[in-house]
Parts: sequence; structure tokens; C-alpha cells
Amino acid sequence: MGEIRTKMFRGGAKRSLAGFLLSETIISTLIFAAISMGLLMGFTALERNYAATTDFATNHADEMRISDYLALDLRRALSVEAARNDTTIYIPSYYDSTGSPQTPVLDGNGGVYYGAAGSSVKIHYYLSGGTIYRQQGTANPVALAVNVQDFIFDITDAGKVVSTRITFNPTFKAGRASADATAATAFYNTTLLRNTRTDNQIGVY
Amino acid sequence: MQRRSTKAQGSILVWTVLTIAILSVLAAEVLRIVTIKHQNALQTSTWQEALLAAESGIDLGIMELRKSLYPAPNHAWENWNNTPGNGVVSYGLTTVANAGLAGTPMTIEANVDAPAGLVDPTTGWQYYRIRTVGTMPITGPARANDNKMDTRLRKLSLHWERFTNGVLTAHAVSAPQVSRRAEAIVRPVSAFAESIMSVGTLDLTNQNIVIDSFDSRDPNKSTNGLYDPAKRQENGDIATDGNLIEAGNAYIYGDVATNSGTVSGVANVTGIERTDFYQEPIPVGAPSWTGYNATPSTVTNTATLTASATKGSSVSRYQLSAIAIGGNQTLTLAGNPNGSQTFIEIYVTGDVQVMGSSQIVLQPGVTATIYFAGNVDVSGNGIINSNNQPSDLQLYGIQPTDGLSRHANLGGNGQISAALYAPGHDVSINGGGTSGHVFGSVIGKTVTMTGVTNLHYDEALASSGSMINSYKIVSWYEDNR
Repeated sequence: MGEIRTKMFRGGAKRSLAGFLLSETIISTLIFAAISMGLLMGFTALERNYAATTDFATNHADEMRISDYLALDLRRALSVEAARNDTTIYIPSYYDSTGSPQTPVLDGNGGVYYGAAGSSVKIHYYLSGGTIYRQQGTANPVALAVNVQDFIFDITDAGKVVSTRITFNPTFKAGRASADATAATAFYNTTLLRNTRTDNQIGVY
Repeated sequence: MQRRSTKAQGSILVWTVLTIAILSVLAAEVLRIVTIKHQNALQTSTWQEALLAAESGIDLGIMELRKSLYPAPNHAWENWNNTPGNGVVSYGLTTVANAGLAGTPMTIEANVDAPAGLVDPTTGWQYYRIRTVGTMPITGPARANDNKMDTRLRKLSLHWERFTNGVLTAHAVSAPQVSRRAEAIVRPVSAFAESIMSVGTLDLTNQNIVIDSFDSRDPNKSTNGLYDPAKRQENGDIATDGNLIEAGNAYIYGDVATNSGTVSGVANVTGIERTDFYQEPIPVGAPSWTGYNATPSTVTNTATLTASATKGSSVSRYQLSAIAIGGNQTLTLAGNPNGSQTFIEIYVTGDVQVMGSSQIVLQPGVTATIYFAGNVDVSGNGIINSNNQPSDLQLYGIQPTDGLSRHANLGGNGQISAALYAPGHDVSINGGGTSGHVFGSVIGKTVTMTGVTNLHYDEALASSGSMINSYKIVSWYEDNR
């Protein structure tokens, strides 16, 4: 009995060395599939996270740039026409036709103006075709940020100070970002307008 | 069994190396992105700080201009290359290195000049132009941002500075930096910018007081240059550099401001209540005339002092040791019989006393400036300003240097029409004639209104060519070429 069992065992062992049992094949395939799936999902998640993080960082840099541009013009603004994704700022006509600074002229009311009386330079910020532009006067618009169709910039005009709020839709989750997630991307800036405004006569100094 | 074990170990090694390689690539990419973003944030913050430096340069310019208003020696423009002269294009430049917080190597350059075209023809006031450059060094490598739109905005000087001595001509820099340039135009501010301003307490005491404004230059805000209640303006601001205003429920058509203080009795204030007021009044020094009319040297009886058609003429400048009149005595400040404009300046080194039924009469056309070093007590018939224009009677209290207190009590039966600037005197305005009307502006160390029912501030005083108390920015521009 003992010999027979030994032979059978040995015989079985030889068969198993010769090939896989169905069950072994299934199990190994499942394990391989699971590991592969895990790796695939892991890499996919990493890639998506990487892309979302990069997108977030890029969008944040875009927010900073747009905000800085707006603040630059608001600080020297004479008047402001604010609307969502469409804001117009008028600044003094500081440069002459050659692009050099010109000496201002007294306006007779305690103020000064550059260039012709009542003149100003129009700066137009607007979102069009997924790009936010800044157009100065009649010059060609300059792109401030591209691929920003999900951006919203709002201007709150409080007279002496003007606040800007810029948001975008983060892409960490599939589908549309939640309102909370979008709100969390808000980049705020509050700018003190240095000049006396011509549209409402509000001055800082 | 040994061969199978070796294969397994080799497989694990391959997987391990592969995993480490992938993770390393990921880490390197993350590090690259983080480094770029860090550099971007660093450059952005440096760019922002450069604006602070530039604006600090404007503050420096205003500070020197304001110092120049003080009596000599005021040490204005010390360590500047030049002094900006009135009406003459001049050049003053200073460089303040390491001016940033904690010794940050911030550099400020300020250039103040006085363009001839910026002289107000009506007041002769010079407006100044302040051009400044704030420069901050950029830490880290001289590497441009990965986004050219950032480069276009911030215009960092990594290897080349765009401007050379204010001209748009590039020159090489030894280390990366960022510069921002700003220009501000500042204009003088009259000492009479408010209806009432006190260094300390301002007490209106009487709830019947009405404080409002008019503009004697504007027919829409006055009638024939005089106050018209139907054209009342709401610029009768009152303010204290101290922290207490007793408004006494006065009807104030204007703002009420303290220096972080409190205001009581503001039920009838039409404007806003502010606590951010700060304006140190410029002290008045004794006039430093090169010549003056030596006769008389004092006035103790009825007398006449004659004005001149030429402003600043030595014949219409009088230095008196005192004015002390009483009874029915009259001090006449005489002008031309035809009432044309004449000027007179009086410096009283002692006290001014107008008692009994005496009076000081300002004849038509005379614009009088009276400096007083001692106390002022005006009652009787008071000071009669025939022009009824506050700007034609300006009273300046010279800052006491002996540490003793001084007072200026203005009253009398006549209507008071004057601008009083005495930041070293305790000022009391009493009465103002039977109607209780005072026209003008009052600045004192403390100000107390007693028996006054109306104070009408003439907005023309704010630009009447009177004493300059400060400078304010009227235009600001960042030159971002």
C-alpha cells in the first residue's frame, strides 16, 4: 500500500510538472489580471492625478497673472466698467504717440490730466473662445491665458477699492466640478484705486 | 529548485528596478513642476515687493516736500542730489539701499521735479512730479518663467535692465532683478481744508450749531460770492488729530473725523464718521521779512495801517509789538478808495486785544494776513471784514516755542468772516455777531465754539493760495513699459 501511494504521488507530481491544471490556470490568470488591473488603475490614477495637479497649478498661475494684470490697470484706473468676464478699465493717456511719458496738464479743478483733456486709454479684458484677452486701445488683443474656457472673473466695484475674484473648474474628479470645488479655486484680489475716478468722482487721497 | 529560485529573484529585481525607475521619473517630473511653480511664485512675490519699493519712493518724496513746509531749519532734501525748485525743472535723486524689512536689499530711487507747466495760475502753487523706481533682486537662477505671458507682464531683468538712467535703453545687470516704476503728481493742500480742525479736543458745545459750506467762487454754490442757505453744500467737514469730538448734536453738513477717537452727539451729521484722520498741522514760524514798515511799532490807540497794491511790498508789511485797543478806538486797515485789491501783512510779536467797543476794520479790497505770537482776545465790535470773504482775512498763530500755552478768543458783535490757523493756540470762537454766523475756517490746538449758531465754511479757502499744510496725490501711474 505504501509503495502504491508513493508511486501514485510521484506519478501525480510528474503530471503536474508537465502542465497546469485548469484551476491553476484560472487562478493564475485571475491573479495576473488583478495585478495588471491594479497596476493599470494605479498608473491611470497617477496619470490623472498628475494631469489634474498640473492643470490646477497651471490654472492657478493663470489666475495670478490675470489678477496681477487687472490690479496693474485698476491701480491707475480713471474709471471701471465691470461685468462678468468682460471688464473695461480706462487709464490715463500717459504716453505720447512715440510711446514716451508726457508731462501732465492742470485741469483747473485741482487735478491733472495727460494728453488731451478728457482723454484716456481703454483697456478691455474679456473671455473669448477659451482665451482671456487684454486689449489696450485699438491694439491687437493680447492673450493672458489660454484654454481657460472654464474661467470666470468677476469684478466688484466698491468705488475706492475694486475686488476681483477668479475661479476655474478643477479636474480632480470625473465629470463637472462641484460648486464647492470651483469656489475653492477662487483667487481674490482687492485693489485700491489711486486716482480720483472720473465716473463717480471718488478719490482715495 | 535552486534554478527556479534564481529566476524568481531575478524577476523581483527587474520589477523592483522598473518600479523605482517609474517612481523616479514621476518624482523627477513632480520636482520639475514644483520647482518651476516655486520659481514663478518667488518671482511674482519679488515683483509685488518691487511695487512696494516704488510706492515707498513716492512717500519719501512727499515726506521731503512736507518737511520743506516747516519753519527753518527743516532739514528737507538733505542727502538728496538737488532740491526741486518752484517753477524750475529740477532734479532730486536718492537711492535707499537695503530699505526692505529685515534688511531686504530693496533699492528705491526717487526723482522729484517741479515742471513749470504745473504751477496753478490762480494760487501760484507748484505741483510736483515724483518718479520712483523700486528694485528687488531675484533670488534663484536667472531663469525665465515657463510661460511667456508671465514674462510679458512682469518684465524681469534676468540679464538686461530695460532702463538706463530713466531712459528706455537696456544695459546688462550682474544679477537678476525686477524693477517697477511709478509716477505721482502731488498738489499742495491748503491749511484750511476743513471747516474746523483741531489738534486736540474739538468741542461744539451748542446743539444749535449748523456747520455747512459754500463756495464763494461758484455762483451755483453762492450768491454774489456770499453764503446762500438755498445753495448750501455738504463739505463742512470737521476733524481732529486727537481722539475726541464733542459734536453736541450740531447739524453738520459734512464728515466728522478723528484720529482713532470717538465722537459724541453725531445725530445730525449728514456725512460719514471716520476714525482714520491724521494730519499734523504745520507750525507757523515768525515771518522772515527782509524789510517792513517800521511805523507804527505798536497800536494802542486809533490808527490806520495802509495796504499796498503790490503783494509782499515792504511798505505794507508791519511788525507790531502789540495791538491793544479799547473804548471806541478803531484800527483801520486801509486800501484804495476805489476798492481795488490791496495787500497788507501784519506781524504782532505780542498780544492782540480788541476790547470795549473797539474794532478792527478791513476796508473794501484789502486782503490782510495777520501773524500773532501772543494771545488774541477780540470782543467789542470785533474784526469787520468789509469784503465778507474769509480768504481776505487770514490769521496765523505763530507756534509758541517757550512751552507756554496761548489762546485765541475771537468774538465781538460783528460777524466773523476770517480764516484762522493757530495750531499752537487754544481757540475759542464766541458769538459771531447778533446772528451768530461765522464764515471761514478754524484750525486750533483745541477748538471750542461758544454761542456760535452757524459756521459756514468757504470751500474757496482750500485753494486760495493760503498756507500750504500738506501735499496730496492727484495722479498716479505705473509705467510698465
